[in-house]
Amino acid sequence: MNESILFKGATVIDPTSGFEGQQDVRVKDGIVAAMHANLTADEADTVIAARGLWLTPGLIDMHTHLRDLGQKDKEDLESGTKAAAAGGFTTVVAMANTDPPVDNSSTLAVLLARIQERAVIEVLPIASVTKGLQGAELTNMVELSDMGAVAFSDDGMCIANLAVLRRALEYARLTGRRIISHAEDKDLSVGGSLQECCGTSSYGIKGIPSASETAAVAREIEIVRLTNAPYHFTHISCAASVQLIDRAKQDGLPITADVTPHHLALSVDDIEPFDSNYKMKPPLRLQSDQAALVAGLKDGTIDAIATDHAPHTRMEKETVLEDAAVGVIGLETAFSICYEKLVASGALKPSHLVELFTTKPAQILSLPLPTLKVGLPANITLIDPGHRWAYDPRSGASKSHNSPFAGRLMTGKAILTVFRGKIVYRDDTYLSSRNNGA
Amino acid sequence: MTSELTSNITNQLKDLMRGRSAASAWRERRHLLDTRDLTKEELDLFIETAALFKRAHEHEPPLTLLTGITVANIFYENSTRTRSSFEIAARRLGADVINLDTKASSVTKGETIVDTARQLVSMRVGAVVQRHSAAGSAHLVARELGRSVQVINAGDGWHAHPTQGLLDLFTMTEVRPNLEGAKVAIIGDITHSRVARSNIWLLKTRGAHVHVAGPPTLIPPAMEQMGVTVHQQLEPAIENADFIIMLRLQLERQAQGLVPSIGEYRRLYRLDHTRLKIAQASVKVLHPGPVNRGIELTDELVDDPYYSLITTQITNGVATRMAALYLLMADQAI
Repeated sequence: MNESILFKGATVIDPTSGFEGQQDVRVKDGIVAAMHANLTADEADTVIAARGLWLTPGLIDMHTHLRDLGQKDKEDLESGTKAAAAGGFTTVVAMANTDPPVDNSSTLAVLLARIQERAVIEVLPIASVTKGLQGAELTNMVELSDMGAVAFSDDGMCIANLAVLRRALEYARLTGRRIISHAEDKDLSVGGSLQECCGTSSYGIKGIPSASETAAVAREIEIVRLTNAPYHFTHISCAASVQLIDRAKQDGLPITADVTPHHLALSVDDIEPFDSNYKMKPPLRLQSDQAALVAGLKDGTIDAIATDHAPHTRMEKETVLEDAAVGVIGLETAFSICYEKLVASGALKPSHLVELFTTKPAQILSLPLPTLKVGLPANITLIDPGHRWAYDPRSGASKSHNSPFAGRLMTGKAILTVFRGKIVYRDDTYLSSRNNGA
Repeated sequence: MTSELTSNITNQLKDLMRGRSAASAWRERRHLLDTRDLTKEELDLFIETAALFKRAHEHEPPLTLLTGITVANIFYENSTRTRSSFEIAARRLGADVINLDTKASSVTKGETIVDTARQLVSMRVGAVVQRHSAAGSAHLVARELGRSVQVINAGDGWHAHPTQGLLDLFTMTEVRPNLEGAKVAIIGDITHSRVARSNIWLLKTRGAHVHVAGPPTLIPPAMEQMGVTVHQQLEPAIENADFIIMLRLQLERQAQGLVPSIGEYRRLYRLDHTRLKIAQASVKVLHPGPVNRGIELTDELVDDPYYSLITTQITNGVATRMAALYLLMADQAI
């Protein structure tokens, strides 16, 4: 494959190297072949006029449900990674709660083979902490880590037994890998669909109190204090959780955290009652929580953004709220939602936002830090921060359509994604209109 | 005789509807899913219509106002009483009625709720009266099939039971036509009560002061934001009350750990003649039924015709449901 792409005049934003400025970038033979203020196009080049566009290292999503293994009516490795590519991601980290879960070497081997066959971008697997996600017996963490598991998590099947959690954290040290926690006290949240508030009270919907997250965060922090093992809280949603994590970090505990785009952009006040596309865990919280999450990103208490892309079929979602499946898709909207909420609003600088999607998740998972450098594999996302577009899940790449952002007008979008030198996504409508207009 | 009576009622209804924008508001509504956005004008018209049907109901022969329309009662939860009330109401208006009693265990998923309703729509059912254990189940059917069928919510989980709220309102209005400034207490398990919610919206629209009381474990959070006054004890809620609505305590609440014992509940919240003394002398007591005699109310109070409106509520249920069906569907009749 001798395809060569020349990006002319792009604004390169590379948080890992700290570089930010206008550059021409040539991609050839799978790697970044040249970077210079002015590169002359040659015959082999496909030239992309990129003036005013951001050229960043490929985005990383550290919390994705690809469902491949048993739940392919929701999503599979091809549809899921194409959706990721359309959102500007070149790496996704796949959660272990498939059917069967990734809790042993043969299941992981099947998954890795399927990734090899079907994925259009990089998929890094997470293995479960306990066998069968049952919260009791540990998996063969060392073997799974050696095979390629980049972290361990039982995700929504939270480990309720703190003695098990303690052993998991101690044992995981052998792997140097982090355990990722979906912090939830299930007794407090059981049967709940939405954040407990005036709305759930008046609509007769069973609510989920914030304490179901914050109580779990508090007790898990104490187990991290006990073991001093690296630990990551995913999709943090409450102001009080941000405070607890802030204090734990000040105490020097090896804790990191991420937040989802939907928890940043939405609160209970945005919910359409009984619309299951607003049902996810943790639930959408209050506006004061939203503000604390943005502040947490700003001051570094929260380290990264992750989608928790959770595809479900139409049948599983279009039912009464209490029976509806939990979760929303997010790969194709993550960047746009966060751009609007964080950068267009003036809360964060562009490079900070890119860092939350690239360098930071890589640091948390001890992956090679993504950067744009001659000779390195070309994983690149080209973004038009000013592009206005309307999101229609039905025309997206994901098999599922369960998004609270359907029909929303957004600003900022990945328009071209390059993985190992190959274009894995291009927004053809955008690019043709841009070329015609230019 | 039948047609004569119908034409007499038809004329009275015509007079009642003439020049009333609320009449078209009811028709445009199409569905009755909850009570929160019913306007004062719609409620005025509703109460007058129900009163008219209550009078007409005393004549024996059925009316023909909804002849040619089929009403399907789909009850995923057992309720012989509510279902019978809807059935009698529809038949009195001349509609055909079919009843579908479906065990909740075999039909729990929303897709099946929609499928069940869809099958009936294919058989040209004009209205679906639905009861289901999940909040929002009637909204779901209205959202998916609302253009081809009218949906009347006969109770969806803890959310709403609009015709119960309307019949309570109608019953209270018969005693006191203007509820503006009246004190209405709702006592018991508020959290799990669709009756409480439907009543609260209606009473607020009518300008009543709503007070609720019950064990703190059975009062939903941030209840005050619904515009009601919340008490833990019975007494301040019923003090000087004009009406007291006692809710049914599901006995399973004890097993769920929400109340320590039925005895303790009775001790704190059971209404009897002695406790009633702090209410207005003219106070009336309502209960959506069926009453757990001796738990929410003493036997003597249930059967005391001076205070208890419980029998009237049941009677008024039919006229209320006739009014609802008529106001929503009258122009659909052949």
